[in-house]
Amino acid sequence: MKKFLLPAALGLSMMLAACGSDDGASETANAGDGGEFTPSESIEIVAPAGAGGGWDTTARMAAKVLQEEEIIDGKIGVTNKEGGGGAVGWSYIANYEGNPHKLFVTSPPMIFIPLNGQSEYDHEDFTPIANVIADYAAFAVREDAKWQDLNELFEDMKKDPTSVTVVGTSSPGSMDHMQFVQIAKAAGVDITKIKYVSAQDAGGMTQLLNGSVDVYSTGVAETVEQVKAGKVRVLGVTSEERLEGEVLEDFPTAKEQGIDETFINWRGFFGPADMEPAAIEYYEEKFKELSDSEAFGEIREQFGWNEMYLDSEEYKTFLDEQREEIQTLLDELGLAK
Amino acid sequence: MGSLDGIITGFQTAFSLEAILFVILGVFVGTIIGMLPGLGPISAIAVMIPMTFGMEPATALIMMAGVYYGAIFGGSTSSILLNAPGVSGAVATSFDGYPMAQQGKAGKALAIAAIASFTGGTVSVVLLMLLAPALSSVAVSFGPAAYFALMLLGLTAIASLSEGSTIKALISAVAGFMVVTIGIDAQTGTQRYTFGNMNLLEGLDFLVIALGLFAIAEVCSLVLSRKDKSIGDTHNIGSLKLDKKDLKDMSGPMTRHSFLGFILGVLPGAGATIASFISYIFEKRLSKNPEEFGKGSVKGLAAPETANNAATSGAFVPLLSLGIPGSGTTAVMLGAFLVLGVQPGPMLMTDRPEIFWGVIASMYIGNIFLLIINLPLIPYFAKILKIPRPLLISLVIVFSMIGVYAISFNTFDLYMLLLFGVIGFLMRLFSFPAPPFILAFILGGMLEQSLRQALTISNGSLSIFLDDKIALSLLFLALLSFVFPLVKQLRKNKDKATEA
Repeated sequence: MKKFLLPAALGLSMMLAACGSDDGASETANAGDGGEFTPSESIEIVAPAGAGGGWDTTARMAAKVLQEEEIIDGKIGVTNKEGGGGAVGWSYIANYEGNPHKLFVTSPPMIFIPLNGQSEYDHEDFTPIANVIADYAAFAVREDAKWQDLNELFEDMKKDPTSVTVVGTSSPGSMDHMQFVQIAKAAGVDITKIKYVSAQDAGGMTQLLNGSVDVYSTGVAETVEQVKAGKVRVLGVTSEERLEGEVLEDFPTAKEQGIDETFINWRGFFGPADMEPAAIEYYEEKFKELSDSEAFGEIREQFGWNEMYLDSEEYKTFLDEQREEIQTLLDELGLAK
Repeated sequence: MGSLDGIITGFQTAFSLEAILFVILGVFVGTIIGMLPGLGPISAIAVMIPMTFGMEPATALIMMAGVYYGAIFGGSTSSILLNAPGVSGAVATSFDGYPMAQQGKAGKALAIAAIASFTGGTVSVVLLMLLAPALSSVAVSFGPAAYFALMLLGLTAIASLSEGSTIKALISAVAGFMVVTIGIDAQTGTQRYTFGNMNLLEGLDFLVIALGLFAIAEVCSLVLSRKDKSIGDTHNIGSLKLDKKDLKDMSGPMTRHSFLGFILGVLPGAGATIASFISYIFEKRLSKNPEEFGKGSVKGLAAPETANNAATSGAFVPLLSLGIPGSGTTAVMLGAFLVLGVQPGPMLMTDRPEIFWGVIASMYIGNIFLLIINLPLIPYFAKILKIPRPLLISLVIVFSMIGVYAISFNTFDLYMLLLFGVIGFLMRLFSFPAPPFILAFILGGMLEQSLRQALTISNGSLSIFLDDKIALSLLFLALLSFVFPLVKQLRKNKDKATEA
């Protein structure tokens, strides 16, 4: 037993630790001459969540393409820092001020979690480097539901907000809730009266299908299979224009239904605060190359992600706007901390 | 007969040389991961995803499914030998498995676990093959009201998990309920009992509690009792052979819980852990000698081991036929499907029959290999008990720590492990039973959330529990399950009174 178990355990822990190594070859980055930057040690990309989720998948897929297509020469390791909906990972990165070898992947919870009072760090405590993908929300109802479009649903909600239950995976004040609130508000619904329940472990689709709830607020990709099978109908998606692809192209946008509002589930890469400009420039270029590569295009297609590249400056402006919008909504809901 | 063609295609896929090789690799890796406390199938599958890129999707998925059920199969080993559950589905296995090992019957306990796992795994694959398409509607038939009733039914078991003082069992359960509320409340987004510590925002992981209360607490007891020779002759492994009576004892629970475990596995969110607990309790209720449970009962070991493996196959129903993952592990599996360009869901069976049926068919092969791998290795596994006690104790501590650290790579969890180890030890010292604590911790979260979901949906009216037929029948069962032991007890007392 001992002989057998020990090597196995060691092998495994090494396998797991390998993803967690930031082996100490700490030379300073050679940023000196001419402002050029190249990584002098292995790069760590932190997924501030457990293995298998959206952040983890993005980080692992990006690391894979960056290395395999030789966009970045050298080692890239992906580590998981799980906890607090991201807060644990962010506080880890906050310890590495100015370190150009620590990156992390993040998305709208970077805005939501600090506003909900669950993280002391917000996006201004880090350096946004580049956004790479966009995803959109979809609002689905059962195939036999009486609503044919978003306006019919919102008309009913204006008359009697308690007659409609909305389900999502995240807690109130976080993404699934707020993406619905944002669109409903633009349509003139009293958002303080929206009935929202949160169901974990993909319980949202289950509860929609068995009739417990009326509307499922989720990501576009989560609805496709059930739409194909004729079980649910998507009343609207939150993108600016219609999405591309089989089934997806049939989803009407909120905008074309006269509701002038969008919601983007953006996803991109950040670094610690005070990254030197040469390093930012280096990574911007590399992530642009990643975003344009055929290999990453295939991955986007597989997961149903859309391309959305923003460089560091654009990203910063975008994030500030996002925060202001969400802050206003949270204030109105009385959820802001 | 479209689906018959599909099944044949599936068997062809599963019996190709490549698929067989990878299913063996998968179940082997799974067994090892399952044996190591804390290292679960989630991290193993997630780490494997980038490696499978470019592999034939059917083969890759067959391998990853193998890791999943292999881990549940192997999870019993450390539960039985060390009282340190390898996966959360194997906690109930330790209730009777560990006492059996302490009585010098480790070999037998491991053999029972292996055979029960094999039976649960195989019977449920047959059920999966026959019923997967039909059961997809069952998987979504449970609304919040029904889940609340199911959890309540599970809770009535607290009484049967306790020995001695019922009051102490209830206190223990209340503590479990309190601990599970730690973290962000899903229905309001409010923080509860986090004391501003962000490490507590997502609550405590089940394995931190289980390894603390069981493995670390056991280690504390062993250290304290080191001069006490009476603590079982654990150096003796005993024979592997099962006699006729053992086999007879096992056959009942194995049949029952292959079905029960499978059905509970089909329900998203219930899964192997809850299935193993409910089966254990159910078996104890049925038994003519419930006092044997917890002291090395063959039935008490066979029931949860059958159920957790059966539930694992059940969990593939919503995953494959609806694209709905019912647990963390199946959510990662869903991710693996997507990476390989396969979308599980209602269309999978017709669009990609070789994958839908191939994965299912491969589980027969996987289960057979699990039995072949595990049975001959039992004497070697069991030798762990021959390791001198000081070394063994250190090993348990090290493995528990590695396991807990691997959950989230967060040292904070290690402090929590030690804290719950101390709590578990104190509970033993003052004879508060740990199983009600664990049960309340497992069921409590879903019990609370589903109650509040149901009441939000009904605008606060309790009628939702009466209108939902599934909920109503489950509530009725819960009531029976609560009243029945009381009546039995009263009758016993009466009999005694008349005898006297």
